Amino acid sequence: MKNKTTRNKMSSSRLLIVVCGLIFFWTAHALASDVKIVANLSVRTDSISSSELRSIFMADRNSLRDGSYVEPVFERAGAVHTTFLRDVLRESSESLQSHYGALVFTGKARMPRSFNSDAEVLAYVASTRGAIGYVSASAGTEGVKVLAVVSEGNLPERALLVRVEPEYPETLRQLRIGGTVRLRVTVSPQGHAESITLLGGNPILGEAAIRAVKQWVYAAGPSRITLQVTVPFDAH
Amino acid sequence: MIVSSGLSICRSAARLYLFYFILVPLCLSAQDFKLDGREVQIHGFASQGFIYTDQNNWLTMHTTQGSGAFTDFGANISMQVSDKLRIGAQVYDRNLGNLGEWHPSMDWALVDYRFKPWFGIRAGKVKTTLGLYNDTQDLDFLHTFVLLPQSIYPTDIRDATIAHTGGDIYGTVSLSHGLGELFYTAYAGHRSDSIYSGYTYLASQYDVHYSRYGGLQYGGDLRWKIPLRGLLVGASRMNQDLTGNATFISPYNPGGGFVPYTDATRADWTNQFYGEYTRGELQLDSEYRRFVHNDVINGGILETKSDIRGWYVSGRYRIVKRLAVGSYYSRYWITTGSAGPLASLFPDHTDTSLPANHIYDKVITARLDLKRFWYVKIEGHFMNGYGDSTFPDGFYPQVNPQGLKPDTNALVVKTGVNF
Repeated sequence: MKNKTTRNKMSSSRLLIVVCGLIFFWTAHALASDVKIVANLSVRTDSISSSELRSIFMADRNSLRDGSYVEPVFERAGAVHTTFLRDVLRESSESLQSHYGALVFTGKARMPRSFNSDAEVLAYVASTRGAIGYVSASAGTEGVKVLAVVSEGNLPERALLVRVEPEYPETLRQLRIGGTVRLRVTVSPQGHAESITLLGGNPILGEAAIRAVKQWVYAAGPSRITLQVTVPFDAH
Repeated sequence: MIVSSGLSICRSAARLYLFYFILVPLCLSAQDFKLDGREVQIHGFASQGFIYTDQNNWLTMHTTQGSGAFTDFGANISMQVSDKLRIGAQVYDRNLGNLGEWHPSMDWALVDYRFKPWFGIRAGKVKTTLGLYNDTQDLDFLHTFVLLPQSIYPTDIRDATIAHTGGDIYGTVSLSHGLGELFYTAYAGHRSDSIYSGYTYLASQYDVHYSRYGGLQYGGDLRWKIPLRGLLVGASRMNQDLTGNATFISPYNPGGGFVPYTDATRADWTNQFYGEYTRGELQLDSEYRRFVHNDVINGGILETKSDIRGWYVSGRYRIVKRLAVGSYYSRYWITTGSAGPLASLFPDHTDTSLPANHIYDKVITARLDLKRFWYVKIEGHFMNGYGDSTFPDGFYPQVNPQGLKPDTNALVVKTGVNF
């Protein structure tokens, strides 16, 4: 009897953990999918690691690994800004303000540009060499490039050499269904995608993304590596 | 006393009026413009404080009567000349009791060239990196506390560590295998104290009047943002080789008037270790500093040795967007010794359990952000001890002629703006 009660308690605990885990995963995924990283066309890379992104937006570095200069551009407020701060920078608005205050008033950096809307960010990024910003996943991306955010530590060894954009499924485009697809990609030593797993996002968009990523070519390397790749679909 | 206190409050009110009705509107005006196609930014800050203490006068102010002689402001201008080159300068002015006395100083003025993320150079007058907050200790608007832990960041002798005229090399290195990031700074330059600083004010009690104090300052800082989210640890080292020129009345010939006086350091170094942990709206940090200072006066008529150790543990939490609270516990000890013909005038202090050789400070604070650019803070200090009267550590004999009492409680209120 005691064993049964204990087992029931354990089952309930596991169920609770699984449900909490699912809620957390769903929430985290939903938030991560709300933002996309945009860059001026002069930025050579097509992908960026989350740690590099954080370093750039915290003014710890002002160039990418390939040496090209970048200038971070912020939104002033709003859901996209809050999501970006929480999920990418892991800072609150107040701590970010303090961080830049410390840099600016000790002569270590200048205050970054910030704008009121996606449209203003996109207009500045499109017209400013090296500018890199973030906008909502549903914002248009004409005149800028969208950077894929990949997992830590995978950029320097295996740079993306050939990137093929996915074909947008026509039905979803007409219905204005967009978003971001996350994939796990195993890259062979020769630089080709060996296996691709859909981690998150719309399954139909996922299929289109997988077809495109199969054609991507990475720099050759000494061994097989696994990357997490984000592919945005802009419905506008 | 009542009249004096009333006058002090009137002066504070006048300053507040100037502050909010002149400075604040200025703050809200344009902050950047284009010059030759390049963006120029202008930023500034100002703050006004008030301190009341129940026992000893503190920080060179007559705080037992309530003092508002606690004002500072600064403004900077900077320009990104090219992708890698940036120039800028900041002026800073303060009046803290008998310190500063409204004499503005060039806080920093530098040229910064960043070759790579892992290697950059700053040259000119550069803020000195020492521990978590040395370079930002004047920037009240950044901190939850009005006064940072005085065991590590004594505001009366800020000149001693705040900046050097010379250069820094610095950079950020991303460690492989997800081991986090390293930030390094190495520096060398010349430190030059204001003659309105705590050192020179303290010396004036012995009729020593400085015309110059400063010298070589060099060292480095290494901090590691470790893979555990929100955790930073680091260490700093500073070495100095200082000389001072002054005049004084010789105890051998008191009737002879002022004669030249010089002092030179035989040893002057600081080691500092620190850690910071941030989780959501909670921030915890702790630092330890040891500072050793050996001075030789007038070629050997007196040699003084001071060994100062301090640490603090601090926590702060933002309850809601506009309200943050914090608390810290700070401990400071000083031991001193002397040698030479005049040593008998300066008895050794070695027992750190005595109030004359320590300051223990328990602090609680609240900060209210009225607007994005305007804040008010209120803070309580509950101190035991008053440090050594031969070293500047907050409690000065000149403003405590009746002698120092072992305990001091302080109420500190401060407001400020920045743009």
